[in-house]
Amino acid sequence: MNKAFGKKGLKLCTVLMAAVLVMQGCGGGNSASSGKAGLPSADDRYTVDAETPAWKLDKKEETTELTWYVNADWWNTDFGKDVVTKKIKEDLNINIKFITGDDTKLNTFFAGGDMPDLLTIFDSNSPVVQKAATWALPLNDLAEKYDPYFNKVAAADTLNWFQLADGKTYGYPNYSNTQADYDSGNIPAKTAFVIRKDVYEALGSPAAGTPEEFKNVMGQIKARFPELIPFGFNSIGEGTGSLGDVLQDFLGVPMETKEGGFYNRNLDKDYLAWLKTINAVYRDGAISDDSFADDGTAFEEKVKSGKYATMLLDGTPQQGGNLQIYMSANPGKEYIAIDGPQSTVGHAPTLNQSGITGWMISFITKKCKDPAKAMQIFTYLLSDEGQKLMNYGIEGETYQVNANGKVELLPAVKDLQLNNADKFKKDYRLGEFMFFGHDRDKALSEDAFPESIKQMQEWGKGKLKPHFILENINPDQGTPEARALSAINTKWNTTMVSMLRSKDDASFDSLLADYKTFLDNNNWDKIVEIRTEKMKKNKEKLGLK
Amino acid sequence: MNRKVVKEDVDSRIFDAINIIVLFLVTVVIVVPLWNVIISSLSSGKALAEGGFIFWSKEFSLENYRSVFNDNTIWQSFLVSISKTFAGVITHVFFCAMIGYGLSKRYIKGRKLYVAMGVITMFFSGGMIPTYLLIKSLGLLNSFWVYIIPALFSYYDVVILMNFFRNVPDSLEESAKIDGAGDWRIFLKIFIPLSMPAMATIALFNGVGQWNDFMTTKLYITNQALYPLQMKLYEIIVQSQTQSMQNIGGSAVIETTTKGVQLATIVITTLPIVVIYPLLQRYFISGMMLGAVKE
Repeated sequence: MNKAFGKKGLKLCTVLMAAVLVMQGCGGGNSASSGKAGLPSADDRYTVDAETPAWKLDKKEETTELTWYVNADWWNTDFGKDVVTKKIKEDLNINIKFITGDDTKLNTFFAGGDMPDLLTIFDSNSPVVQKAATWALPLNDLAEKYDPYFNKVAAADTLNWFQLADGKTYGYPNYSNTQADYDSGNIPAKTAFVIRKDVYEALGSPAAGTPEEFKNVMGQIKARFPELIPFGFNSIGEGTGSLGDVLQDFLGVPMETKEGGFYNRNLDKDYLAWLKTINAVYRDGAISDDSFADDGTAFEEKVKSGKYATMLLDGTPQQGGNLQIYMSANPGKEYIAIDGPQSTVGHAPTLNQSGITGWMISFITKKCKDPAKAMQIFTYLLSDEGQKLMNYGIEGETYQVNANGKVELLPAVKDLQLNNADKFKKDYRLGEFMFFGHDRDKALSEDAFPESIKQMQEWGKGKLKPHFILENINPDQGTPEARALSAINTKWNTTMVSMLRSKDDASFDSLLADYKTFLDNNNWDKIVEIRTEKMKKNKEKLGLK
Repeated sequence: MNRKVVKEDVDSRIFDAINIIVLFLVTVVIVVPLWNVIISSLSSGKALAEGGFIFWSKEFSLENYRSVFNDNTIWQSFLVSISKTFAGVITHVFFCAMIGYGLSKRYIKGRKLYVAMGVITMFFSGGMIPTYLLIKSLGLLNSFWVYIIPALFSYYDVVILMNFFRNVPDSLEESAKIDGAGDWRIFLKIFIPLSMPAMATIALFNGVGQWNDFMTTKLYITNQALYPLQMKLYEIIVQSQTQSMQNIGGSAVIETTTKGVQLATIVITTLPIVVIYPLLQRYFISGMMLGAVKE
């Protein structure tokens, strides 16, 4: 019986499998054919004009329905209900259906072939972006055919930056800061060394710039404010919190070698001297062990309740709400920025801000039903008008321009923002619909940032320096070097924490030596080579020497 | 003789005492975190922000729950969850029972082949992308049926039911046949009532699975009206996490914290299961024994 089944079963299984394979093959063939035809004409709707944005010209009567996939679960998918999206809906005569998801969902879209009309993702280094030419429409061609005004509102540097090998640009990011933005002084610093004002004053406003001063200040805080944690930093998690590149930026650690190659900032002497200082502070008991284990939420909760006397804080706007909560509840005790750790060899700080790569990046896919309309959305949102709308709403309805030419939210709106955040989000959604939002637009208003971080931003003026050459320089995903790098990064993160917690100098040094050996054993030379090469390309794209 | 009894008595008392202590400790370890979750979810954001372990609410507040239920669509999600769980469980159990009944009959032609085919699926699955393509070509994307149809069949459950049905004496079936009962009647009137423990076990397994599942929604559903509770709550949590990131200005009032919302969510999603569990538990225990008896 069994034998018989074995034979029969085997035959049957083989036949079944063959059938399945054949059927799958056929199916695959069908779905592989993608719309390679040229762009549809919009001549019957309007004639393009380089001086006027196309959305003002377009006479299409029926409302265009578009689906827009955002690769983030937290994206608010409402459209047309709040002030901002309602206006977009009316002006452009569109209806957007948002779909959200994570990388898994993104993969299924690509595999299933039913792409949305527009697509936004977050990692400009990912294979999806590198291969955009296969599934997205080039913005250059779209602009030329449907909306030349786009080139007036898009930053040329940004477009160049995202150019692929074929010389075309497929996606446009938000929060992309160009050299011109840095030069204009309109982008505020996002990192600061902060101290609680009451603590600072009680200690007689001491300096904390050199390792000795820093240790001294921490010791004093520990003695006089035993209920506080003297020194805090962003949650470490799987990274380095604010003790990695943020601290390096404070110390002005060089970004490249003298020859213009990749420089391992983690092994910089100046930086290591400071890690040793922090280790000494830890040994004195002025850093809580919790700080190494806390997650983002735990850290934020400590910020909210003013647990830390000082902090090396990265992402002040993100912590703005928490800082504001603490500030409002404890007047006179708010956190203020002071000159924190400084280079022992005389480098000036080179604080980082989001670079030219920006954050989210949006594409128009080849499956787009109405590429002309999609292009109009890009132009609209990127124009001054669209930028103001996204951040501040409609003039007269939600904001007014005051005597200094600054945008100011109307009192009722402001009040709602402060006292009923949920309703504010639901009805107005200001600053949240940020596909093409940029830091420079925040400079238009005093209301763009909470009171709690304004002093910190003021402190950061003149200390920003673009880190463009270091952007997107990692080995391509999937290569052995990329794998080695990820192992190295993990190793560095754990090593750094162990170094900061080491019991004596000897173990500090041996941990560092371990890390160096790990580098040698993990293809580091090759990674440096790749990074140097990519840095060179970055300089070419930006026209730097 | 007497002494021995006394000695045994002491031994067993010590044993009992140790048992009670150990079980008490185990219970404490289980109950305390649960208690903490419930109490924390009923505390105000401010009390939570201060951190530390909470045994009793420092500041009672329903704000966490309010912010979860704030979203009007959550009731619809509740409805979706309940209907998909009910419909899913009933169809799943019935379908698996039918197949299990069939496969439990030794006289079925090709039985071994079917069994072998089933076993293969227990070891190999198509993987995410092929499954997605299949669901897509079946036209199940964005349809309520995607919760029901792919979940109809589980070979694992079929094996359990098959084994249970085999324990029912053949003579029962034979006598019913002699009295003129057909296969359907035998299946519905004899086998199903006799197998309630197994059915309840599978219903419970499957029900909990259906209730907790949100991957199906994540992959195949984009229409918000079809979001079950789990997906909706998942969204609420992620949104509460990123709220601070998006705020310009920032509110000065702490009514809720991310943690508070998460805890409230845990309570809301777990509660229905906790309520149903004791009701099914007696079947569940006798049903679990099944795994031990295999032919």
